[in-house]
This record gives sequence, structure tokens and C-alpha cells, in this order.
Amino acid sequence: MDSLRKSFIASSTALAFGLSVAAHAAPLEVAVDSSPSGLDPHIVTAFSSFQIIDGTIYEGLTALDPDLNIVPGLASAWEISEDKKTYTFTLREGVTFHSGGAMTSADVAASLKRVMDEATGSPLASRLAAIDTIETPDDKTVVVKLTAPSAPLLSSLTTIAIVPAKYAGDTETLQRAPDGTGAFKFVEWQPNVAIRLEANDGYWQDGLPKLEGVNFNIVPEAATRQVGLTSGQYHMLPNTDAVTALQMQSQPNIKLQDTLELAYSLTGLNVTRPPLDNAKVREALNYAINRDDLVQAALFGAGVPGGPLSPALKGFATPTNELACFTPDPEKAKALLAEAGVTTPVELELLVLPRDDTKAMAQVIQQQLAAIGVNLTLDIPEIGQFVQDWRNSEFDMFVSLNSGTIEPDDYFYRTFRTGGSTNVFKYSNPELDALLDAGREETAVEGRRDIYKKVQATLACDGPVLFLAYGQLYTAMREAVEGYQIYPNRSLGSLKSVTLGN
Amino acid sequence: MVFLRRLRGRLIDLAFVIAGVSVLVFGFIRMIPGDAVAIMLGANAEVTPERIAAVRTRLGLDLPIHEQYVAWLSDVLRGDFGVSIWTGKPVIDEIAAHVWPTLQLTLLALATAVILAIPLGILMARLRGRRGEALVQAGSVVGLTVPPFWLGIIMILTLSAVAPGVQMLGYVPFSQDPLGNLARLILPAIALSLPIMANLARLLRSTLLEAMQQDYIRTARAKGVPARRVLYRHALRNALIPFITSVGIMAGYLLGGAIVIEQVFAIPGLGRLILGAIAERNYPLIQATILLVTCSFVFVNFAVDVVYALIDPRISE
Repeated sequence: MDSLRKSFIASSTALAFGLSVAAHAAPLEVAVDSSPSGLDPHIVTAFSSFQIIDGTIYEGLTALDPDLNIVPGLASAWEISEDKKTYTFTLREGVTFHSGGAMTSADVAASLKRVMDEATGSPLASRLAAIDTIETPDDKTVVVKLTAPSAPLLSSLTTIAIVPAKYAGDTETLQRAPDGTGAFKFVEWQPNVAIRLEANDGYWQDGLPKLEGVNFNIVPEAATRQVGLTSGQYHMLPNTDAVTALQMQSQPNIKLQDTLELAYSLTGLNVTRPPLDNAKVREALNYAINRDDLVQAALFGAGVPGGPLSPALKGFATPTNELACFTPDPEKAKALLAEAGVTTPVELELLVLPRDDTKAMAQVIQQQLAAIGVNLTLDIPEIGQFVQDWRNSEFDMFVSLNSGTIEPDDYFYRTFRTGGSTNVFKYSNPELDALLDAGREETAVEGRRDIYKKVQATLACDGPVLFLAYGQLYTAMREAVEGYQIYPNRSLGSLKSVTLGN
Repeated sequence: MVFLRRLRGRLIDLAFVIAGVSVLVFGFIRMIPGDAVAIMLGANAEVTPERIAAVRTRLGLDLPIHEQYVAWLSDVLRGDFGVSIWTGKPVIDEIAAHVWPTLQLTLLALATAVILAIPLGILMARLRGRRGEALVQAGSVVGLTVPPFWLGIIMILTLSAVAPGVQMLGYVPFSQDPLGNLARLILPAIALSLPIMANLARLLRSTLLEAMQQDYIRTARAKGVPARRVLYRHALRNALIPFITSVGIMAGYLLGGAIVIEQVFAIPGLGRLILGAIAERNYPLIQATILLVTCSFVFVNFAVDVVYALIDPRISE
């Protein structure tokens, strides 16, 4: 017993010592739940990677403010030609890369081409599909010519990081040793432990960043992250779900920020598999789902039912009360099934993304659909298997979480157009294709609004997806953290303005 | 001489066990669902089958599985465990960077368990038939069955409520900050040692009680040896033999338990390394780490056999 007591004394002395050491180290300690799979901004798209690099290490020609407006980034200004097919960007002065060397138009052109190059395999390539040629008349000017007018270009460019030209054709180096223009530069990556960034002294924006550095600690265990925050070991848990956040709310010295997410949960349907090939059946499923119950049960009330576009996109999103099938009506659902000539019970398999919230949703959906005679078997594989099945369209139905974007075209086009790169539903609707093409060419805001209103109406009730809900996104942090601003797209770009008090 | 011959026999057994494990490790990780190369490349819709095939060829994953095994085994026998697919660093370096926290945690937990189990076991034996026995027995059953990771979470939550501001997560090397190192390891070590401690204490109790029934104890008492001396000098010494064997076996289980509890306390040890490697499908790293853990388990047991033989002359004869 004596030895135990001694070790307690030893440890409490040590704890005091440990604290005094921690007070000197000024970097912001952030705890994240999973290790990124890589840090090449043109290759990785998972949130685990995105939140570490976006706006911190890397920047694009254009940027977003917290209200999702497009503002100048590495381009200080741009001009759009009369025919809307030529964009002339003027680059900011005094921007240097972390590895040294000033950013020039050559780097910008090389970065765009790197994304477009098939050999890079960039998931962002489709966002630049409209680009025909890129010219660099001088060091500070980039002229982008399009094959056809493309309204989404400026918002797409917020997601295309500018990297030094030397990485053209190299898809490995940046994955482990990122090199950008942002306020923080990469120091080291201890796999499964932490990723360390330090302040970029040569950052182009005077007086930023205010922190000495940022450490992303990889802490898979939720309870450990929470305790780490309450005990002061970590300063911030970014982009957490409602359950975690609301538990933290009552703790001393902790504050929360929240916003409605761009990401949405959805149930995808494989429209090549009967009876899901029948639009009436898809409509029936929509009527059978009670989205309010889903938000209550799976998101603990922290979210809103949502249609094809996030309610965060106020200008574009059709309010859900204008979508008929968002008012649950099991009787109508049964009638639609009967009309479609389907005999119940129907047996289908539901592939589930292995996350706590999507698993909970799957269970609620299973119950709701059972009420109209559609029996689901849940299949919850490991993430690697999920992605493979999803990509190969090996599912009847799946429930998952998709990152939304600020630009309707960005994901409508690749997700729902015939042959789109993430159209895993194998959905093909010539009417919708025509609308999506028109949306790309129309640059007037009013005209685009009309087009995407029609797109939403087409997709909402009998499309290949049951749109479910948009969750509330939280960041929990110590009171000492000042100047942080949460972004609906999960970017941690505002870390450059953060200061750390005592 | 019989002892040496038996030792040699045990060593040959060990070689078979390790060879078997190497086959199992190699086969099992290739049975995990999900295309390993697709996961490595980021599992985007834009990753073309051609690129996947190219990477597969580069890593030698397109060969038949038995050829892959033979190539790997011959490298391992020459001391080359390959490089991590993810970082490109030698696997051995990756393991070296993660092995200390786990080793230290295991040893600390083992020491805690043994140091506390001996007095507890004696106490439990002495309480036999007295008041309080039921309570202590019940306590030991609880200790035996509480899962360390759960206990770890409860300890973290409790301590953070009682003493917010205390740094108890993560790891700092002993050489850098000895007190900080111990402060961070003591909680996981206690959580980890509890079931082992309960187990060892219960074992010691029953072997002690059994020893007290033996003829030589009666003889000692008849000679007028004081009760304390009978217990400590005669009974305990004999009761410790099965105890030591158990300690050896427990050391292996502790290593496994440490891997789990590392997740709870955010300790960057072998557990993190193995889990991360599995998520990334980092075959060379998974293979080498699991093989290493198995070998250490097997060798600890072998060492226990040797020690056992040395303590008990009847075994070596």
C-alpha cells in the first residue's frame, strides 16, 4: 500500500510540473478523431484531411468568408470578359511558398493543370472541366479561358489549392509533406499521434497568424477528447457532433460555436435494381420517411430536415415545406407502392456508412419503411468496404453523409448527371441533364435560381436519393481561445486569426 | 542434462509456433474486406483501375499469395522487415518509435499487479473463515471482471471532475520529463493491472491455503516453528511457484491489454501503430508488428519455463 501512496504523491508532484511546462508551449492544441489519409490538397477529400489543410496550409485563388461569400484569396482581383468565357486573375504580391520562392502565375497554372491531369486522379477535376486553356502573360497574371460560360468557376477555385509548380506529375510528396502558401507551415507528422504546424513568418497577410503553431492531436476515443478539453490539455475540438458538444456545454471554461452544416445525410437508391427502378416506388419511400423523427432520434434534435440543397444556401434552397413528399404520409406511400404494382413485403439491403449518426439513422429508417411493408436488412461494413461497395454501385440502398458545397452545380452535376463521376445510383434523366447543362451556362443569378429550383423539384421526391437532414455542426473550445469562426464547410481557415489567452 | 534437452525441445516448439503465426498474420490481413490499394489511394471515384493496378504491381501485391509470403519471409529471415507503405520509412524504425510507451506501460502495470497481489493474497488467505472474507472475495471478483478500458474511462472522467487541469493524457518520454512520464502512465497502469492483480491475489490465496494443508507444514508446526515463520518461510515459498508461472502468462496478456488502453489514454504506443496500420492496410507494418508482439509473448513464456525449472529442482531433474 505504501508504494501506491508514494506513487500518487510522485504523480501529483509530476502533474504540477507538467502544467508549468505546458504553460510555456504556445501552440494551439486541437484534438481530432481520425488520422488523415494524406495531405495532398488535390488528391484527398475526406474531412479528416480537409480540416487540417484547408485555409491553414493551403489557399486558393479565391476564398470563402464565414457566410460563404466568395472573397479574394491568392488572387487580389479578377475580371470576367463580356462573353463570360475569359477570367483574368491578378495575383497578390508578396506570397511565398513554405518551401521558399515567390508564388507566380506559373505555379497557379501548374496547380490547375495538376488537378485536371488524369494521372493525378483528382476528385476535384470535374470542378475545372469547363477550362479550355490557361495562359500566363506575366508573373502576376493568369488568364483562364473556358469552353463555355461557367458560373461555378469562382466558387470551385476556392477549393483548388495553389502549390509550387515543381509538384506537377508527383502524386506522392505532398501527401506526406504539404507545401503551400497558408498562414501555417507543416513541421512533422507522427502517424496516429499528431500533425504539427508552425506559424509561417513570411505569411502575406500582415500580423497573421497570431498563434505560434497548431498541433492536431489524433485522439480516436470520444471520452478522451472530451476530458482532454475539460482538463485543458486540448484547446479545441473542432467540428464535433451535437451529442458531444451538448455534453460539454455545462463544463466550466468551455464555450461552443455552432452553425448549420453544408454536409447532409442521405439515402441513396440503386435505380438499376427493381423495384427501385420505378419512380413511384422511390416517391413512396420519400413519403414513408418522417424526417422530423429522424432528426430527433439520430441527431438529438440538432439539425433540420433538408431537401437537395442545404438551407444554409439561403439564395438557392427550396424550403422543405414546398416539397410535397417532405410531409410524411404512410398511407399515400402504400398507395404509391400499390400503384407501382409492387407486392409487399419487399426485401432490400441497406448499406450503412460506419458512423454513429448514420447507424442511428439507418435504424430509424428501417423502422419507418417497415411500416409500409419495405423490410430492410442493415449491412454495416468497415469503411474501406463501404467505399468500395458504394463506388461499384454494389447496393440496393445506402445511408451516408455527403459533403455539400456552396455551389449547386458542383455536386448536382457530378452526382446526378448521366455518367457523372459520383453518380453511383446509375441515375439517368435527360430532362435533368438538360437543366444541369443550362445551369452551367447561365451566369445571371436570377436565371440560375430558376434553373436550380427546377432541379430541386425534379430530384426531391422521385430522384435517386432520399434527402434526409442537415445537422448542426459544433466546435467546442476553451474560453481562452479567441477569434475563432466556425465554417459550415468545416474549414479551419479561421485558425490564423485565433489567439490563445490564459 | 535432461533439463538442457528439454530446453532444446521447447526451442524447436517455439520455432514452429512463430512460423505458424507468420502464416496466420500474412493470411488474415489479406482477408480483411476492402481493396487495400484503393484505400491507400484515397478511395475516390476518380482513382482509375489502371492506377490501382500500377500501385499493386509496384508493391508486389499482384503476385500469387504464396509467392508474396515466401518473398516476405526470406526478407524477414535476413532481418529486413520492409518499409512502411505509408511513410516509406523502415518498418523497424516505426516500431522502435512506438515500442517504448507500450513496454513501459506493460512493465509498470505488471510491477503494480505483482507488488500489490502478494500482500493481498496473503491477507485473503489469512481472512479465511473470518468476518470480512465474503467482502474481500467479492471485491476480488469485481477486480477480475472489470474491463480495463472501461475502468480507464471512468478514472479519466472522475479525475477530470475532481481535479480539472490535471494533465493525464498522452505520453512524454521518460528521458525528457521523468515525472511527467510517470504521471501520465500511472492511471493506465493501474487500470490495466487491476484484473491481473485480482487474478494473482486469488491464485496466491488458494495455493497458500493448499500449502498450509501439507504434511511439511504440520511437521514444521509440530517442531514448534512460529506461525509467522511457517507462513512466510515454508508455505509462501512453495505457493510462489505457480504464482511466478502465472506472472509470466499475465505479462503476455498485459501487452494485449496495453494496446487497448492506449486508445483511451491517447498513448502513442504499439496499439496505435497496429490500429493505424490496419486502417491504412499497411501490410508490411501490420505483419512486422504482430509478429513482434507474438514473439515477445512466446519468449516471455519460454523464459518463465526456464525460471520455473530453476526454482523447482524437481522440474529440472
